[in-house]
Amino acid sequence: MFAEFGYGILVVSFLVAIYSVFAAVYGATNKSAAMVESARRSMLLVFPLLSLSAAALIYLLVNNHFEVAFVYEVTSRSMPTYLKVTAWWGGQAGSLMFWSWLLAAFTSAVTIRKWDRDIEFLPWVIVVNAITLIFFLGMVVFYENPFTRFWLVGGNVEPHMFAPLNATLFAAPDGNGLNPLLRHPGMVIHPPMLYLGFVSYVIPYSFAMAALITGRTDDRWIRLTRRWSLWAWLFLSFGLVLGGRWAYDVLGWGGYWGWDPVEIAAFMPWLTGTAFLHSVMIQEKRGLFKHWNMILVILTYSLVVFGTFLTRSGVLSSVHAFANSPIGPFFMAFVSLTLVVSIALVIWRWPILRGETEMKSMLSREALFLLNNLLFMSVLVICFWGVIFPLVSELFTGQKVTVGPPFYERATAPIFAALMFLMGVAPLSAWGHSTVQTLGRAMWKSAVAALIITAILFVTYTQNIIALIGFFLIALVLLVTLQEFWRAARARQRAQGENFLTSLSRLMGRNRRRYGGYIIHISMMLMAIGILGIEIFQKETQGSLAQGEQLNIGGYTVEYRELASWDDQGKGVNFTRAVVDVYEDGIYLGELTPRIDYYFDSQQNMTIPGNRSTFRDDLYILLVDWQPVSSMGATFKIFVNPLVNWLWIGSLLFLIGIIFAAWPDKDPAEEPVRAARSVRQTNAAD
Amino acid sequence: MTEETTETTNTKRGVPVTTQIFIWILLVGLLALVGFGLRRAQNPMATIGKPVPQFDLVYYEGYEYNGKTEMKLSDLQGKIVVINIWASWCKPCEQEAPDLEEAWQLYKDSSDVVFIGVDYVDTPAGANEYLTKFNITFPNAPDLKSNISSILNRQMGVPETYFIDREGILRHIKIGPFASVNEIQSVIQSIE
Repeated sequence: MFAEFGYGILVVSFLVAIYSVFAAVYGATNKSAAMVESARRSMLLVFPLLSLSAAALIYLLVNNHFEVAFVYEVTSRSMPTYLKVTAWWGGQAGSLMFWSWLLAAFTSAVTIRKWDRDIEFLPWVIVVNAITLIFFLGMVVFYENPFTRFWLVGGNVEPHMFAPLNATLFAAPDGNGLNPLLRHPGMVIHPPMLYLGFVSYVIPYSFAMAALITGRTDDRWIRLTRRWSLWAWLFLSFGLVLGGRWAYDVLGWGGYWGWDPVEIAAFMPWLTGTAFLHSVMIQEKRGLFKHWNMILVILTYSLVVFGTFLTRSGVLSSVHAFANSPIGPFFMAFVSLTLVVSIALVIWRWPILRGETEMKSMLSREALFLLNNLLFMSVLVICFWGVIFPLVSELFTGQKVTVGPPFYERATAPIFAALMFLMGVAPLSAWGHSTVQTLGRAMWKSAVAALIITAILFVTYTQNIIALIGFFLIALVLLVTLQEFWRAARARQRAQGENFLTSLSRLMGRNRRRYGGYIIHISMMLMAIGILGIEIFQKETQGSLAQGEQLNIGGYTVEYRELASWDDQGKGVNFTRAVVDVYEDGIYLGELTPRIDYYFDSQQNMTIPGNRSTFRDDLYILLVDWQPVSSMGATFKIFVNPLVNWLWIGSLLFLIGIIFAAWPDKDPAEEPVRAARSVRQTNAAD
Repeated sequence: MTEETTETTNTKRGVPVTTQIFIWILLVGLLALVGFGLRRAQNPMATIGKPVPQFDLVYYEGYEYNGKTEMKLSDLQGKIVVINIWASWCKPCEQEAPDLEEAWQLYKDSSDVVFIGVDYVDTPAGANEYLTKFNITFPNAPDLKSNISSILNRQMGVPETYFIDREGILRHIKIGPFASVNEIQSVIQSIE
C-alpha cells in the first residue's frame, strides 16, 4: 500500500518534471509568459510531491516492512528509530531518492524568488534544474527503486515492484541492518551535508547556463547566484570536514583523509568552487574573467556529476563505493550531455563574454587572484589525474594501478604552500595596481614576526625543514590577517570616534564577505597546524601485550589492564572492550577503552578507538586483536597525533567564517558597486 | 580541462577552430576512457551460467593444494571447484563446517573435485583456531582485500558457496549453511 503510493508519487513527480521542461522551452521560444508560469508552478509542485513519497519510504523503514527490498537491506529490528530514518540515505536506491528530494527542494526554492528583474532567465533555469531532476528521478524510477518488494514466485524469492503472476508477498523476519560504520552520528549528517553541497551547485550552474542561452552576459547571473554558491560551498565544506572527523572516529586507522577516490571526487568540486568564490569578486569589481567564471561554474557542476558517477557506477573501487549498479550507462549519458552542452554553449558565446578592462599590474589583487585560481586548478589537475589513472593504466597495461596518498601528498604540498603564501600577500594588494614597494611596506612587520616565531620553534620544537616552512607560512598569514583586522578597525575608530570593539564589529558587519573571508583564512591556518602535526610528527607503534605489560610511545606509557567481551542482545551487538591505563612521565593520566563492536545482523566489525585529546596531541589507541580463550593477551595499535586538535578547531572556525560571510545582509542596497559600467545586453537568442 | 584564460588578448572572434577541435577531442577521449572503465566495471561479477572472472589467492600455511602455495583459478580448469566463503566469527559457518569436511573426504582422492575455503574479513589467529577446531583439511586461503568475494558477487553474508564446473562456468550459488553432506553431494552430482 505505502510502497505503491510512494512509487506512484515518484512517477508523477517524474512526469511533472518532464512537463515543466517542455512548458518552459515552449514558453521561452514562443514568448508565452503563461507557459513559463505553468512550468514554474509545476516545478513548485515537485518538492511537496517528493516529500510525500519520502514520507511513505520513511514509514516503511521505521515500521520494519522487510518485504521492501531496500528496507530489508538497510534496517533491522534492533536499530533505533532515528537510525531507521537516516538509513534512507544508507543505500544506493534510497540515497538517490534523497538526492532527488534535496534537488527538488532547491529547484522549488529558486522558483519562489522574485523574478521581475531577470524574467528572461527563468525558463532556462527551470529547464536546467528540471532536466537534472528528471535524470535523478529516472534512475530512481527505472533502475534503483527503493520501493521494490520481495515476491515468492514458485519457491523463489524475487524482487519486483508489482506482483508477478501467482506470487505472494514475502517478508523476511528481520533485515540485514545498516552497515555499522554508517551508524555513527557523524555519518548521520555527513552524507546529507555533502549531498546538499553537491545539489546546491546546480543553482549557480543553471543561472550560468541561462545567461549563456539568453546572451545576457553582464554579471547579473553572478550577483544572483553569489549567495547560492556561498551556501553551496558551506555545505560542501561542512560535509568534507564531517567526513574527516567521522573517519578519525570510526574508521580506525588514525587518519582523517585517505585520498580515496570518493573523497577526491568530493574535493574536486570544492577546489573549483573555492577558485570560483575568489574569481567572482574580480568580475564584480573589475569586469574581468568572464570566460573564466563561466568555465569554473561549469567545471564545478560537471565535477559534482562526474564524481558521483565515478563512485556510484562501480567504475572506481573505493571504501565508499556503492555496490555495482545498473545505473552506469544511464549516468554516463547524463555526464556526457552535461559536458557537451556546456562546452558548446561556452564556445558559442565566447565572443560576447570578453572582459571590460585589462589587467594592468602583475601584483594587483586581480593578478594575485588569477594566480590563486591557477594554483587551485593545478591541485585539481593532480587530483583528477590520480583518480582516472587506474583507468588509464588498465587501458594500456591491463593492470589497474591505483595511486596512493604519497602521490597526492608530494604533488600537492608545494602548491598548498604557495596558496598559503598568496593568502598572506593578496589581502594586502590593491585592486588595479600594486608594486613590490607597496606590498613590502604592508607586510614586512608580519614577515619579521613570523621569522622570529619560526626561529623560536626551531630551537624549542622541531628541526624538520618542511614543518618549519609550514609554520612560517602559517604565522605569516595569521599575522597579516590579524593586522588587517587591527588596521581597518583602528582607522575606523579614529574616524568615527567609537571604541575599538564597536568599530571592529561595525566594520565586519558592513563588509561581511571580506571579513568572513579573512576568518576563513585564519581557520585554514589553524587547520594547517593540525595537518602539519599529523602528517609530519605522527608516531605509531603496535604490540601484543599480556595483562600488566606496557608499551611506550612519544612520552606516553600505555599499560594493558583488562579485557571483557559481552553480547548486548537488545542492540544486536557484541562488544569487546579493553581497558588500558595511560601514564606520562610516570604520572597517571587516566584510562582509555578501545573496543571492537561486532554487529550480528550485518556481520561486520567496527573499531572504536580510545582517544585522549589535548591541544598538544592525541593519544589514539586501537584494539586490533585479542586471544578470546584466555582473554589474557591483546594487540594494540597506538598513534600519537600531535596538534591534530587544531584541525577540528580550525574546522569550527571555518564554518563560523562561512556562515558569517553568507549571512543575508540587512540592506541589499549596495548593489551597483562598479560605477560607469556599460551593461551590455545582447539578445542574440531572439 | 585546459582553457584559454587570459582575457587581455584582443581576439575579435570566438574560440579558434583548432582550440575547439582540441577541446572536443579531449572530451571524447575522456568519455571514451570512462566508458571503457564502465564496461569493465559492469563485467567482472560472477553470474550463474557465465564464466567466473579470474582471481588468484595465497593459501594459508598447512592448507595448500597439490603442494602449491598460490593458485590461479585457471589452474583448476577441468575440475569442479567448490568455493566456500566463511569466517571464524560466523556462527552459521560452524554448522556446516563438519559437513563440508566430510564431503571433502569423499572427493579428495578423485582429483576431479576440489574444495577451497575462502576466509572473509578475519584475523589469522581466529582463522587458525577455527580450522583446527573443525579439523578442516581442504585448501584454505584468506580473502585479501575482499577481492574474491567481490568478484564472486557475494550476495548476503557468510557462508556462501559457489560451484564452478569443469569449463570454469558458475553453476550454483548456495547462500547460508548446508543442512547435510547429502545436500553438498547432490549439487556436485547435478554438475557432473
